[in-house]
Amino acid sequence: MKIRRLLLLAAIIGLVLVPVLLSQSLINAAIQMLIASLFACAFSLLCGQGGMLSFGHAAYFGVGAFATVHAMNAFGGAGLLPTPFLPLVGAAMGLVVGLIAGWFATKRTGVYFAMITLALAELLYALAPHIKGWFGGEAGVSSMRMPAFGLSFGSNTQVYYLTLAWVLVSLGLLYLFTLTPLGRLTLGLRENARRLSFLGYDVHRVSVLVFAISAMFSGIAGSLQALNMEAANYVIFDLQGSAEVLLNSFIGGVTVFLGPALGAALMTFFGYLVSDMTHAWLLYKGLLFVVVMLFIPRGIAGLVQSVTADIRRQGLARMAPSMALYVAASILLMAGTVYLVEMLQRFFSQDYRSLAALNGKGWPPIAVFGSHWAPTSVLTWAAPILALIAGLAVLRLAHARWTSILENEEGVQTLLARDSAAARGQP
Amino acid sequence: MDYFLVSLLNGLIYGLLLFMVSAGLTLIFGMMGVLNFAHASFYMLGAYFAYLLGRYIGFWPAIVCATALVGLVGVVVERYFLRKVHKYGHAHELLLTFGLSFIIAELVKLFFGNYPVDYHVPAMLSFPAFHAGPLAYPAYRLIMGAIALLMFGVIYLLLTRTRVGIIVRSAIYKPAMAEALGHNVPRVFMAVFGVGAALAGLAGAVAGAFYTTNPNMAIELGVLVFVVVVVGGLGSLEGAMLASLLIGLLTAFSVGVDYSLADLFTWLGAGDWARRMGGLFTLKLSGLSATLPYALMLLILLVRPSGLMGEKE
Repeated sequence: MKIRRLLLLAAIIGLVLVPVLLSQSLINAAIQMLIASLFACAFSLLCGQGGMLSFGHAAYFGVGAFATVHAMNAFGGAGLLPTPFLPLVGAAMGLVVGLIAGWFATKRTGVYFAMITLALAELLYALAPHIKGWFGGEAGVSSMRMPAFGLSFGSNTQVYYLTLAWVLVSLGLLYLFTLTPLGRLTLGLRENARRLSFLGYDVHRVSVLVFAISAMFSGIAGSLQALNMEAANYVIFDLQGSAEVLLNSFIGGVTVFLGPALGAALMTFFGYLVSDMTHAWLLYKGLLFVVVMLFIPRGIAGLVQSVTADIRRQGLARMAPSMALYVAASILLMAGTVYLVEMLQRFFSQDYRSLAALNGKGWPPIAVFGSHWAPTSVLTWAAPILALIAGLAVLRLAHARWTSILENEEGVQTLLARDSAAARGQP
Repeated sequence: MDYFLVSLLNGLIYGLLLFMVSAGLTLIFGMMGVLNFAHASFYMLGAYFAYLLGRYIGFWPAIVCATALVGLVGVVVERYFLRKVHKYGHAHELLLTFGLSFIIAELVKLFFGNYPVDYHVPAMLSFPAFHAGPLAYPAYRLIMGAIALLMFGVIYLLLTRTRVGIIVRSAIYKPAMAEALGHNVPRVFMAVFGVGAALAGLAGAVAGAFYTTNPNMAIELGVLVFVVVVVGGLGSLEGAMLASLLIGLLTAFSVGVDYSLADLFTWLGAGDWARRMGGLFTLKLSGLSATLPYALMLLILLVRPSGLMGEKE
């Protein structure tokens, strides 16, 4: 517990120091990471704790953003509130829209709920470009950040601190919410809603409240996004946004409070890093998501938890070799996949096709990772496939070792228990 | 009158197409409780496979092969992906299929580019069936409708008149009992999943040639198909048929209607007020036609939460 608090403190200090240490463009990436983290945590209040899988959370993010832009433009550009308090508008809008949408969506549970949230978001997405007064049509609505309290909010650094403050406060509130009676009831919704209703709670009302609170914090995230971009466009309602937050949260792990934030921060950061290098970033993200769903259903945070628990029980020395094997296997698998995808992407790209047609004599070599590969050579395709096969083999080995260590431990304990029982039986 | 006839036919045929995709979805849902998010991706795969194969083996053989291939993909998805996460519950399965749909869309973009491909109706099939006023009605639309009807007939007879159908229906109704009687229920699930996927693939292969074949076609249709399932009711084939036709007709007729809410208010004597309000009030119904299915769904949820033909919550 103490270690966890120290880690949290260190993380906060690190976040405060970010603008001092990083370049301007990285600060912008950090702002995006913070916003994505808050959005993911708001989302997983509903889906991780409440067990209600929403496929349309971009809607509440979006209305928060639009409400903020309109609030910034209110009174001839003077703003409805001083700039630092504008996220309150996004929060209010998210709450109101969340109450309405939640009332519909929570009438059903399970997969029906998921479909309704999806349809509601698609409804908004289909409607938004037609309502020019609210959503500004295809062009969207733009605005300017106004100075307030002696701060100009002109630089990235100031926006960063504003975002950081709001995100930390919101995450704190979200955490405190889990400690309230309603927060405990949220878990009850996930575990056994029927039992809650037997206990006399109005399940529909509780669900709507949880939905609205989740939408409210999503609205704050959207609002911060609008403050950062100084604009909002109806594309924000696209399914892509809803998919993004869902993928981020589950990759991070929704069973741990800060898991979704971790996932969102990591994914946004990687997205920022590789989006210039590859066209297939979304494919990697999808692959990662499916791998997580298949093999580590509790996400990265859950994985870290169970690994640390195993290490604590077994000692680092015994687990280290198989952990090293796991890492080696992941590296091999990742290298093989990335190479294969990048090769295919370049091979099937339109540029390459026209280049090959112009060239006239066969396929020119493809540049991947600084060297050129002939697409007709066997080696080009055999190398990644061999890497994948080797990766799978190492993975099997690592898995076998890991489970045998855990099983041995259990076996030893049952033997010991039997011995002691026998000793007691025959004095 | 011509407008009415053409809209009616368009609506019916679009509805039949929707039904072709949602039939598999609703069967799988009724059977395994899995809402297959990747179902519309099978529709897209069907179109792309048919496009790819059609360049080498001709239009009709390509459609047959594409259908079989998509069915195979469906079997693989069920056997090697869904079955693995079955123990974590339905939400997890939904998430997995969501991830798969994401991957399929991205793979299609990788191989075919992020733009529509040139998949079209072959010249020998693109002739007008009849003339309605100045409009030539394409015969291919009628062929699509016929294929959907044929498929519905075959499925219906298969489910109600054959031994296989009895086993499938019993596996839907009481899987544990069917298993106890010696039927291999997991294999039945796999087969139904494959057939459902193949139906979606067939729909894609046939419709992709008429409409556009692009990487977004899955998600565009997919959401609509979910609406069909909600409106029609859980796992009900007849409900899916009814809802598909309803939504098809609704979209087909609303595209041609130029009235807005303000006109309704004019009739009530408050037109000027409504026009001053702007926003929603002055939107023409034709512009809103894409949103009508969702509105219908919300309405159904309000008045009959179990769907048109659904029996249980």
